[in-house]
Amino acid sequence: MMRGARVAIVGGLALTAIAAAIVLSGSPQVLAGSNGVAAVIYPPLASVSGGGGACQPDETVPAGSSAIRLSLEASAGPRIAVTVHSGATLIAHGESAPGWLGRVVTVPIEPIDSTVHQATVCFSFTGADERVSLLGVRTPRQGAATSGARTLPGRIAIEYLHAGSSSWWSLASEVARRLGLGRAWAGTWVAVMVAALMAAGLALASWLILREAR
Amino acid sequence: MRSMPLAAWICALVACLNAASWSLITPPFQAPDEQAHFAYVEQLARNGRLPTSSTQEFAPDEQLAFEDLDVAGVSLQPQHHTIASEAQQRKLEGDMARVAAASSISDKGAAGVAASQPPLYYTLEVIPYAVGAGGGVLDQLALMRLLSALMCGVTVLFVFLFVREALPAAPRAWTVAGLGAAFMPALASICGAVNPDAMLCALSAAIFYCFARAFKSGLTPRVAVAIGVLTAAGLLTKLNFLGLVPGVVLGLALLARRTAQELGPRAGVRAAASAFAIAALPACVYVLANLISHHHALGIAGGVIGFTVSHRSISGELSYIWQLYLPRLPGMRVDFADISPPRDLWFNGFVGDYGFEDTFFPRWVDNLALIPALAIAALAGRELCLRRRELTRRAAELATYLTLTVGLLVLVGASAYLSFPSEAAAFPEPRYLLPLIPLFGGVLALAARGAGGRWSTAAGVLIVVLFFAHDLVSQLQVIARYYG
Repeated sequence: MMRGARVAIVGGLALTAIAAAIVLSGSPQVLAGSNGVAAVIYPPLASVSGGGGACQPDETVPAGSSAIRLSLEASAGPRIAVTVHSGATLIAHGESAPGWLGRVVTVPIEPIDSTVHQATVCFSFTGADERVSLLGVRTPRQGAATSGARTLPGRIAIEYLHAGSSSWWSLASEVARRLGLGRAWAGTWVAVMVAALMAAGLALASWLILREAR
Repeated sequence: MRSMPLAAWICALVACLNAASWSLITPPFQAPDEQAHFAYVEQLARNGRLPTSSTQEFAPDEQLAFEDLDVAGVSLQPQHHTIASEAQQRKLEGDMARVAAASSISDKGAAGVAASQPPLYYTLEVIPYAVGAGGGVLDQLALMRLLSALMCGVTVLFVFLFVREALPAAPRAWTVAGLGAAFMPALASICGAVNPDAMLCALSAAIFYCFARAFKSGLTPRVAVAIGVLTAAGLLTKLNFLGLVPGVVLGLALLARRTAQELGPRAGVRAAASAFAIAALPACVYVLANLISHHHALGIAGGVIGFTVSHRSISGELSYIWQLYLPRLPGMRVDFADISPPRDLWFNGFVGDYGFEDTFFPRWVDNLALIPALAIAALAGRELCLRRRELTRRAAELATYLTLTVGLLVLVGASAYLSFPSEAAAFPEPRYLLPLIPLFGGVLALAARGAGGRWSTAAGVLIVVLFFAHDLVSQLQVIARYYG
């Protein structure tokens, strides 16, 4: 029984370590560009219930973009479908998972080869009664987003993301430095302490499991 | 009273360490409503009285910390990270030192969304607040978070003890339940913040333990008083505790009936009456004090409750609450057109919903998590099937746990219905179900046993490792969100 517990601990932790190493070898999504529009919360450009959508012209979608971040607000947001058109040509499309909340929703799209100017980004969603607020800034009618036949009072904040070139491993020291800022006793010791606390918890748990398995 | 096993203490210690780690990785005031909870404590500590306003006009030192940390700019906007430069840090430190040295700080008695909550948790938090007073807001917040982390340890201690009473023949499974709860990131993240949910979980776990013990060994006067005291403390900790009250009442009634059958009617009535009297005492004093001072009988919470009961149709509300947790039945109005609340809100929320409700895993992680979740559910179901005769024998006990659960679910659903339909699900956050964590521990213990024979040890170990791994990647996700 003791041997079985030991094998399960070692095997489980080895799998965890491998999974963590793979994830940390990947790159975070970073900002490729944005339309420079601020996401003003109050008042929103529009609040839409029961399904809807909008299209926004004059967008520049940077090369390599693999996700579009729309400034929408909802408490349990519906699935959002996004399309990117250049003229009448569909450049990219994607769909978010439902149930998102907060003030942005990130929609993955197939990576775009080259920068697209004068693109039109459209999104749509279906829903029952829940409200989705569109966040952005007020602008003149020309260039404003549209929702069906209606011209919205401004433009929606949109950001374009792509996979960064640096792995999480290479960013580790910078992340540790930032983790130590903005708190009571600032310093990189915070990152060390977090690692120590987790290691202590794991060691205690492993010891307890092996003790119980005797 | 049985002695406390070393394993229970170890599980509690692991929970404290884990919550302390979460308290370090979560940026100040980026936990749910932490600004309001801090403001409540500040009110109590400085003025010795409860908050008088639910506006967001917090004290100047807290506001200054918000500005220097760009709290509003970071929360709910994953594209914005926490402060990153030494210059920002120096300004923060300078401002905090300056405000901490100020002799008097005016405020308007506001505590935001926390203002309507009862004061017990906040009163306890006054102690670390006072200890850290010399260092300013951030020192105080760090110490207050550590008190919440201690409550995480208490929660896990009682989860362990609950499972020990509920499943006495499975000692190894107690440890699986304890360590599983200790590494549960949803619990640790909320216990790493200033939030009364931390204390609510501890009290709820203690009540579950008391009921498990009473159903096993009888409702002794000592256990009855403990249930009464814990209920009173729960009512003084967070309004959500009201959801557990029907279960407490039912449990006491069933236990009193059983005690009456075994020891005579007087013994049963006496034990239950003492629990009810103690539980009701603080609420009666609170109502009396409000009436004497010509306020609403339920104080600032009265407005909330009044709005709740007068809001909309009962049938619509029941339909909404049903759909919030279960698949829609034929004939019900469609309240959630494009989302499945059990999956998208609750399951995915427990997989990962951190920070200011703005840090999640990618969808594929939620999908992947279905595999171990279903495996655990299947193993626990198998064990329950094997022990179905015991379930029948323990029907009264199970009815109590079921009523505790349903009461809380209905309360959360009714609160969410207040903002519906303008917001589909404004209130249902997974943390509100954490008071049911003893049952979750029970499921883990059943799953470990359900593997059967020689596999049960390996299954138990793998469950613990799974929760550790979940906790680890959850912390990495939060670190990436705020500092990446």
